Amino acid sequence: MNVLVWAAVVVIGGAGSVLRFYADGLVSAAAGRDFPYGTMVINVSGAVILGLLSGLALTPSQSLLLGTAAIGSYTTFSTWMLETQRLTEERQYRKAVLNIVVSLALGIAAAALGRLIGMHL
Amino acid sequence: MNEDCLKLTSYFGERQRTASNGFAADALLDLYGRQGIATSILLRGVEGFGAGQHLRTDRSESLSHDLPLTAVAVDARSRIEALLEPTVDLLRSGLVTLERARLLTGDLETVAPDEAPDEETKLTVYVGRQERVYRVPAFVAVCDLLHRRGIAGATALLGVDGTAHGERERAAFFSRNAATPMMVIAVGSGAKIARVLPELGGLLRQPLLTLERVRICKRDGEQLCRPPMAAESRAGADETQLPVAHKLMVYTSEGALHDGQPIHRAIVRRLRAAGISGATTQRGMWGFHGDHPPHGDRLLQLGRHVPAVTIVIDTPERIQVAFDLIEDLTAEQGLVTCETVPLTRQKPVGARRV
Repeated sequence: MNVLVWAAVVVIGGAGSVLRFYADGLVSAAAGRDFPYGTMVINVSGAVILGLLSGLALTPSQSLLLGTAAIGSYTTFSTWMLETQRLTEERQYRKAVLNIVVSLALGIAAAALGRLIGMHL
Repeated sequence: MNEDCLKLTSYFGERQRTASNGFAADALLDLYGRQGIATSILLRGVEGFGAGQHLRTDRSESLSHDLPLTAVAVDARSRIEALLEPTVDLLRSGLVTLERARLLTGDLETVAPDEAPDEETKLTVYVGRQERVYRVPAFVAVCDLLHRRGIAGATALLGVDGTAHGERERAAFFSRNAATPMMVIAVGSGAKIARVLPELGGLLRQPLLTLERVRICKRDGEQLCRPPMAAESRAGADETQLPVAHKLMVYTSEGALHDGQPIHRAIVRRLRAAGISGATTQRGMWGFHGDHPPHGDRLLQLGRHVPAVTIVIDTPERIQVAFDLIEDLTAEQGLVTCETVPLTRQKPVGARRV
């Protein structure tokens, strides 16, 4: 672990959150804003990639950069929770429950799929 | 002070920048602070769109960094007229309106009742965020008084910046923000509002409020009148030679749903789909409508219990269309008022100046 790796974590982490910002904008513009599709697509796609990475044999530094820095900053638990809470604020209870249940189901499936792909690469 | 004043209102986006690359909202309120404007307030909306039809909404967290803003400044005619040019210059896009208002400060005992007390009146009371009246927040005390005196409804909106009695009061993260302005908007008959004024004067240490004439178009599902046609409103308009638009204000509640979503969301979506020039929704933090006692959020809750106000501005002809669209969404509840507003500018980019 050297300074270079940590510097790379900072840069890659920043890039991941910028990517999330734009991906959320694109998905929301395409799919509408009545349901937080943007965050769901981000979290599910992040789960596929993290699953895939975990299936690969990476060095600790690689895993830190790709897993923690890139995927860690790209995906977001807090936004998922806040958007669910906002749905309940506006009495969109069905959508709030769907946001939790569908994200969980798709997320676990995505991680498993990513892992499967990773192990066959 | 009790004088004929002007109210300058600007509607624009939060991330809009000025020619010198600062945020337009900061530059505008800096200007109002420098000029010592009697009262001004910057409100952050929850959803809205302008002539460019670009929807700004707080629905998605990542995209909540560019919400619709409304900046209101009220002062003596000459002072507001002096602000007009710089305000329009600062804003690259957005809408600027100039309305007449009566500004009342100081001793409200001496306020003469309005010339035509039968007319419906919109009362706006400006208070500080932490201002207290007999140990109760001032906006709560004001809403309570208005409710007891039979005013049709009131909504308290939280400002994030502004001036009060000429002093800049900007909300900051590490601050009590005691004097950051809030506004309580109430609508009722002129006679009832006139009666409540001396009481407000007794309640508030430094009362600052405005009176404007409005028409109540609809209340709790009952249509009282339609917005006027273009020819009718020209007669009652200001003597300014500005083009006249109409402004609808729709007071609803966060808990009032249409087709599973809050009425204000449905209104904004529907108006945007119909190509109306612009609408902005503000979420209040306290208020009442009709017989319900004033209410706001509770400590433990899922759904919110706050009021919402949606402002729609367009040409008199298109406001007729907007009113028909809103009509259907306010079949059971909500208060819809109409006002005539002279426009000073309405262009997305490359302003057409009038």
